[in-house]
This record gives sequence, structure tokens and C-alpha cells, in this order.
Amino acid sequence: MAKQPSKNGAHAGSAPKPKNRIAAAAAEAAEAEDPADESVGEENGQEAASNGRKPRRATAQSMAASQRDISVSEFFAKNRHLLGFDNPRKALLTTIKEAVDNSLDACEEAGILPEIWVHVEQTGPNRFKVGVQDNGPGIVKKQIPLIFGKLLYGSKFHRLRMSRGQQGIGISAAGMYGVLTTGKPVKIVSKISPKKPAHYYEIKIDTKKNLPEILNGKGEGEDIPPGASGAAYIEKHGIEWVDVGHGTRVTIELEGKYLRGRGSVDEYLEQTAIANPHVRIHYQDPESGAGQTEEKLYDRSTDQLPKEPKEIKPHPYGIELGMLVAMLSDARGQTLSQFLTSSFSKVSSAVASKVCQTAGVGTRTSTTKVGRNEADKLFQALRETRIAPPSTDCISPIGEELLLKGLHQVVPGEFYVAATRPPAVYRGNPFQIEVALAYGGMSSANKVPFDVLEDLLEETDARTLRQFLTTTFYGLGSDAADQIIKEADLSPRTSASKMKPAEVKKLHEAMRNVNLESGQTMNVLRYANRVPLQFQPAACAITQTVMGTNWRSYGLSQSRGSLPTGPVTIMVHMASVWVPFTSESKEAIASYPEIQKELRLGLQSAGRKLGMYLRRRLKVKQEGERRNIFLRYLGEVATAVSDINNADRKKLYDQLLLVAKKKTATADAKFNERGEFVDPAEIELEKDPSVLIVEKPNEFGIKEKAKGNGQETS
Amino acid sequence: MAKRPRKTVAATNGDAKKPAVNLSDRDKKTLRDLVNLADRIVVDADKKRDPYLDIPARTLSNIKYNKTKRFLEMGSNSNRRQLFNLSQAKVYMQSLLVASGSKRLIDEGKTTSLRGLYYMLKHSIEGTKEETFDDQTQSDTIIEDMEVTLNSMREELHLYAKNAGSMVGNITLTDTGDEIDCSRMGSGGYSIPSIVEPEAVQFGKCTAKFILHVEKDTVWRRFNEDKFWKTHNCILTHGGGQPPRGVRRMLYRLHNELKLPVYCLLDNDPWGYYIYSVLKQGSINLAYESKRMAIPDTKFLGIRSRDYERCELSPSVKINLNDTDIKRAKQIANYPWFEHKKPWQKEIEQMLKNGFKLEVESLISKDISYVTEVYTPERLKEQDWLD
Repeated sequence: MAKQPSKNGAHAGSAPKPKNRIAAAAAEAAEAEDPADESVGEENGQEAASNGRKPRRATAQSMAASQRDISVSEFFAKNRHLLGFDNPRKALLTTIKEAVDNSLDACEEAGILPEIWVHVEQTGPNRFKVGVQDNGPGIVKKQIPLIFGKLLYGSKFHRLRMSRGQQGIGISAAGMYGVLTTGKPVKIVSKISPKKPAHYYEIKIDTKKNLPEILNGKGEGEDIPPGASGAAYIEKHGIEWVDVGHGTRVTIELEGKYLRGRGSVDEYLEQTAIANPHVRIHYQDPESGAGQTEEKLYDRSTDQLPKEPKEIKPHPYGIELGMLVAMLSDARGQTLSQFLTSSFSKVSSAVASKVCQTAGVGTRTSTTKVGRNEADKLFQALRETRIAPPSTDCISPIGEELLLKGLHQVVPGEFYVAATRPPAVYRGNPFQIEVALAYGGMSSANKVPFDVLEDLLEETDARTLRQFLTTTFYGLGSDAADQIIKEADLSPRTSASKMKPAEVKKLHEAMRNVNLESGQTMNVLRYANRVPLQFQPAACAITQTVMGTNWRSYGLSQSRGSLPTGPVTIMVHMASVWVPFTSESKEAIASYPEIQKELRLGLQSAGRKLGMYLRRRLKVKQEGERRNIFLRYLGEVATAVSDINNADRKKLYDQLLLVAKKKTATADAKFNERGEFVDPAEIELEKDPSVLIVEKPNEFGIKEKAKGNGQETS
Repeated sequence: MAKRPRKTVAATNGDAKKPAVNLSDRDKKTLRDLVNLADRIVVDADKKRDPYLDIPARTLSNIKYNKTKRFLEMGSNSNRRQLFNLSQAKVYMQSLLVASGSKRLIDEGKTTSLRGLYYMLKHSIEGTKEETFDDQTQSDTIIEDMEVTLNSMREELHLYAKNAGSMVGNITLTDTGDEIDCSRMGSGGYSIPSIVEPEAVQFGKCTAKFILHVEKDTVWRRFNEDKFWKTHNCILTHGGGQPPRGVRRMLYRLHNELKLPVYCLLDNDPWGYYIYSVLKQGSINLAYESKRMAIPDTKFLGIRSRDYERCELSPSVKINLNDTDIKRAKQIANYPWFEHKKPWQKEIEQMLKNGFKLEVESLISKDISYVTEVYTPERLKEQDWLD
């Protein structure tokens, strides 16, 4: 019996009913099927039964009936973890991160010094309303719904240029998550100029179609007139907006969890401030109450925008065959030579002809006439021909001076060093590694105020006190945690959230007193295109390379296969047109050998200078100890002598002291005005522009707005 | 050294309840030296100079054999020990502590052992966790340094070492006020004290004619049991191996004050030769003491290298010489005081040729009292000894 190829037809028949459940669809499909097919199906079933085999549960046809398109948004809706929405805490952080990333990118592209407001407000037991506003160029009315309401829509995917966001998923996914968990729409306000009206939208994503659904203004959004009437309108409708001449604000209400310590919003904003010293961030956290004046300010330490990175064309070494074929079919009516020189970076006509020669294809061949085989040969030829590495003005590194400033602003320390590597290439993509290191200063644990400690203890979900200490505070390893617990006379298994007030007090005292220098582990801050990476440190190339570096030769102690110990914070930044992440959630950088090499070299460069500084410090300490030796023995000598001949002990002691001073005066001559030992060989450290040495550690970067901007500089 | 009025300070010690101490002349001299040392430091400090101590070097390079006097002497090399020198500061301080500790002992009329002084001076330095002395070897070395610097013997600094060595014989003496009759000391003998200075030990009546010094306690017991000292009318002493300073001092005084010749009966091995050498010329370590302890006229009775054949000893008593022995023997042969003595060169050559060494006890293989009844009397009668 001839089987008719009716599958497609049957499928087409059932397509227009997307909302059907599987069984219904199968039934309908079965109805619409050719009787011939049906009989085939039945026959198969009968045949099977009559042959003694088990009857099939479903046939190819019935299975075909339920196969259909899956939209991108549907996919991500069910696989939220891929985008960074695994759990409520992360979801809150990712939402803020995506919004802030977009704001920063937009401001920088427009050439505006960014100022960002972040409001987080608790609206229910596990619900938060997140609002992020910037003073950027704003978004054109037509584009607003598409940007926020459609996944994989954006400007950055198709161009190679350093930017924080890469695929155009981020903020839409956040909006989608918000809608999924609270049902509340995403609210966007955008203003392009002070004289023009602002636009206000409330949007949901239709996940099946991957299209935005506008809920307000009868599906068209609302316009807010400029000036006073606009302000009144905003008041009346309860729209949240900080009054600026231009900018964008997105507000999302979502299920989340607000915790402090590692991997928190506060940490993210602080780290963003380090890597972006030109940004000013206003932050209102859920604890400070809505709309109150309790706002944290991370002020900018420079008024210079980073250099604008240029967009570049892809480099031949970085593309794959499929991409080449696609590019060829896109380039209509060009000769091969034209195609190669215009679509790729660093391909001149000489290089193009060489490539064509190697591939055995004529330079004047039209791109449309290039078949599969020729494309393959071209691909090989591109790989084999020697092509100059891409130009690197597509990357804008932070730079050593700003790295130092940014780090110094936020992380306490005595010694800072920064190293910016020259640009390099991995798989045809330019990238650049920067390293900054801060040494010294007290851990955050030493300075935490009592009430903050109480709050942290209440909020934490760590099971034991020890866990709480190691996961909440920077640079607190398990050694240091043990020290603190011992000093406070508590059991390490004490439940963190169930501590009595007296115990909390003791803990606080211990944290202030214990010298944590020995117990601290290195704190690694990772950045990709100026965005802090907070999760999956173990999977990240940066952490792996830091652990693999031999810090012992620079004066830190380190056990094999782990981070070194000491009061040290290291910041590593990878800037690239395309940062290779290990997963969609953009949490860890993949380890390409070229990247690892650059990381290693950057770390070593910073390490060397740290080594010099530590050696110098040790020397000073030893010098100090030596002077002490004389002073120590003087007392004994004076006593012994006066025991023998009854001389005036005090007088003798004072006289000997004078001689001691005279003796060590020559050593003193080598000390500089600050009383620090200066070895001629190491004077270079002082003059090195990539090094910053302060006398005393700085206060934490967080300031209350009421106190004003009185940041100390060394 | 100029006399200073301060010597009376000692008598007016702080605590009025302590009995007044009678200082011997020697003590007074030592005190003067100590005080001078301290005064120099005060003067240096006043003039803003770096205080120092010059400590004579006690190394081989600074030791000379005085041919006329026939004993070892220290040369004039010295090492300067300064307070304001990082590597010497601590040792300097320790030196002064030893000096002050010594003064205290003299003032209070007491003596103490080396370890005792170590405990006296050990404490933690004010404001630090560091101790003045970490172990006794440090203080022992510095005591020797101070001996040499102050030109005083340890005993004069009121420090004593362990007793080792016994004495019997026809002699009476007074030891710190107690009368001792060495002919009535039983099987144990009179234990020779560590401090044998004239202030402490005075000789009484002596009818003995000579001194026989043996190496070991066991040999000495043989002689004592056999009452050799009675039959031959001598003083019998032993030093327990390398004799300590007390024994050497005693021998020296007996020899010099009572004009008694000294004969040694030691093992036939490099160690025995060395003991004899020290008794005769002095030791390198204590070269500064040679003039008060060396007995250049000591005679070496035995055991001689030729005694294996002479006494017809059995092969079983032979002990083979090892490499260290051979090296040592050659070293001793090169000592300036043996170098030009033919009999000694022959003696050492013979031992090396023999390839073995003999202990005094090996004579027991001939007969239990062979050594006391045959060997020693024969040697004395024939005047068969080495000088």
C-alpha cells in the first residue's frame, strides 16, 4: 500500500491552533489526515496486534502532529538558569546587573558621563521592585517595546566592539522573569530631550511569539509632556522617575531575595564603581526605606570618559565555515576581492589575492557564484594565509591610573599596583587584560559595625557561624574564621541566625580585635568588559590562573592549588569585543590559551612589584628590630655595671642611649622624610606610575550622602 | 690598675641582717678587677665612646709553647667585643652579667656551680620575650671569656665545677676549715674538691715521698685496696680520665709546695698521651692557666708501647688502633714539647707500629695485683720512665 507523504500536509493543517494541548492536536491531526494514512496507522496497529508484537504507543504521524516551533522566549522561560535567574537572590542581582550594564553602555556610546540611580524596594515577603535609571541618551519611542519586550533584539550582536552587553538577551529576560513571577509588567520611561515629551510604557513579553505586548495607552504607550504638566502627570499616575533632561528608567517587579555579603547587590555596585571610576551611582537599598534620603553614593573619581572603542570587522582567523558561507550569500554582487577586503579586518587587496590564489579561485569571481567546495577552500586558505592581527582600537581598557584610583577608592590598603597588558588576540578577537592589586589594610570583617553584624546574622542562610563568617566577608578564610570564633569563646557550630545578644556582642568584639592578616585569603575581583563577575569563580579562567600563579615568590604564602593568603585584593579585567563565557549567564570566562597567557603575564607583572614592596617592608621591619636590640640590652648592661661599681644606673643608661643614637644615626641617614627605609635600588617603586603607596589604609568607600563628598586621598 | 676606695663597698652590703663576709686578699683583688672593668664602661659612656671588652683569643693560633718555662702560654691576640655591634651586643651584655653575678657571689661569700650561675643570671629582658641566656653552654663559654679577661681563675670568681678525682696518702690537710687525714679515708678516698685555692685548702703534715697519678677510678681502687700508698709511702690520686682543674691544681700545689715528684700511670693510647701532655704542659683551652696548673716535670711511667713484649701479655688484650687514634697519635708527636724528644718519638712510633693500644687493666690478665706488685715497683726502681 503506497504511503503518501502527507505528514507535512497534515502538519500544515494543524498549525494555526497554537494553543492546543498535545492530545487535542494529535486528535485533530489524526482527523485531518489522509484516510490512507489513518489506515496505515491502524493497519500498523492491527498488523502489530495480529503479529503478536506489542502495539506502538504512538506513530511517527501522531508524533509529528505535536512537533512545532519553539520560540526563543519560550525556551528561555523554561531555562532561566542559563541566563542567571537560577534562584531568587541571583535573579535580583542579574536584573540590576543587566539594567546597569545597558545604562553604562548607552551613556558611554553617547558620550555622556554616566549617573545611575538604583532603587530596590521590598513589596512583599519575597518580592522586590527594582528601578534603574540613567542619564543616558534615551530610547526612541518605536524601539522601546522591542528592546525590552523581545529576546535577542539589540544593536550589539552584529557588531564587534567592546561593550558590556553582548547578545541582547539581558534586560528582556529580566522583564520576562518579572512577569513570570509576579505578573506585573515592566515599566519603562524614556526621555530623549528636555523639550520633547517622555514616553511611558508598561510591557509584557508574549513568550510564544517573542513579541512585546503593550499594556498601557491602549496598546500604544503614553506620552508624558515636558515641563510642569509632565511632572504633574508623573505624580498623578505614581510613575517613578528622577527628573533628568534625558535618560531611561526601567522598573521591574520580581520575586527575589535581598542578602548582603558575597554575591550581593551591594557588592556588585561597589565592584562596578571600582572598574568604572567615571560613574556616579546612587543606591537606595530595601533597608533604607522607599523615597527617603538614606541613599548610598558611589561617587566618580574622574570626569574623563573612557576612550571610545571603535567597531571592527571580524578577523578571518575568528570565523567558522558556516559563517563564511552566510557572509558570502549576504554580499551580493561583489567580487571576491571586494568581498574579502570589505568584510574582514586587516585584509588588503594583496592579502585577498593571495588567499584566492591559495584557494584556486579567481579574485574577480562573483560572490554569488561561489559554491560549497570553493567556500571550503577559501576557508582553508584564510586560515593558512598570514594575516596581520586585528587593530585594537576596538577595545578601551581602564588604564593603570584609573585602575589605581578606582581600587583605592573602594578597597583599603597600603600598597596598590596596576598593570595593563598590551592588546592580544584569541581566535581572531582582540582582547586586553588588566590587573590591579591592593595590599594591606584591614578586612571588612574588622570594621563591620555592630548593628550591621546583627542584620547580617539575621539574614544569613548559612547553617553554622563558621560558614557565615567565611561566606559573608571578604578575605575571611576558614583559618581566620576559626581564630575569631576562638577569641569570642563560641562554638563553631553555633547557628548563625539563632545567636543570643550576648554572643553577638562577643563575636563583634572578637572580629574587631583579631588580627586577620594571617588568616585572610586573597580576594579576587573579576571583570569582563568592566562588568563584575560574581558567580562561578571556580569555573572562571581568571580564578584558575590566579591560583596557578606562584605567589610564594612574591612574598605571599600559598598552599598548592589554592589562593594565596594575606590581606590582598586583586582585580582582573578582561576587555574584548567578544568575551568568551562558559555559559549564557555570563558568569565565568572560558580558558583559551591566549587568554591564559595574558592573564599569567599580567598577574606576574603585578606580583613582581608586590614582591618588591613586601621585601622592602620586611627590611624596614628588620631594621626596626635591630635598633630595638641595642635598646633592649642597654638596660641590662646599665644594671649590671651599676651592680658592680654602684654607678648611677639611670645616668649610665641615658649616656649609653646617646651613644646608641649616634651609632644608628648613620643608618637613619638612609631613611627618607617619612621614616621609611629607602634602598636606592627600590626608589623606583616610589616613582613608578603604576604603583600607589599610602601610609595608612583608607576608610571604606561607602559614604552617607548627608556627609557630603569628603573622600581622603593619600 | 689603680686602687679605688670602693673595695669596702662589699662589706657594707645592702641587707644589714647578713653576716659580714670575710674577704680574702685574692677575693679583694678579683673585686678590684671587676670594679675597674665597670668603671671603664662608665668612663666610655660619659665620653660618648663605644664601650668594649678586649677578650684574649683562646684559639690555637694564639697559643705558644714557652721553651724555657716548658708550658703553654697564651699570646697577645685578643678579640674586641663591643656593645654597639649587632652581632656582639648580646654576648657583650651576657659578659657583663657574668661579671656582676661573680661580684655578687664574692660579696656574699658564696660559691655556686656553673649551672647555678646560669640560673642566677637567666631572666627575661624587660619589655621583651627574650631571655638573657638561652642555654647553659652560652654562659659556660662566657665564664671562660671572663676568666681570661680578668686574669682570674674560675674558682677565684667563686664558681666551681663538679668534683672528680680522689686522693689517699700520708698527708693531712684542712679543707674549708675541716681537717682531713688522707690516710684514713677508707676505700673511697678523699674526693678532691673543685676549688683548691690556698684560701680553701691548706696542707698539714706530709710524710709521703711522691705522687702516683693514675687515669681511672678502677685502677686507683686496685692501688688503694692493695694499700700501695702505704707500702711505698706516696700519695695516690686519680682524675677520672682527663683530670679536672681541681685535681690539676691539687697536683700542682703538692708538687710545688711540698716538692713531691709526680708519676703518671696511664693507658697506652693517644688519649693517655694527651692526658699526660695536659698535666705536663697545660691545655690549649685553658692555656692562660698553665702557669698555675702545668707540671712540666711530670713523668710518664706507663703503659708503654713496649710493654706488650716486656710483660708478655696475651694477644687477647690488644685493642686495634682505629683511624682517629692514628691521626691523634701523629698530632701528638708533632706537639712542640714532644717534637724534639727522641724517646717520645720512638714511643709513639712503636705504638703505631704495634697497631694496637693497651689499657692499664690489661695487666690483670697476668695477675690481679700484677700492676701494684710487679709493674709499678719495677718501673720506679729502674727509673724507667719518659719525661
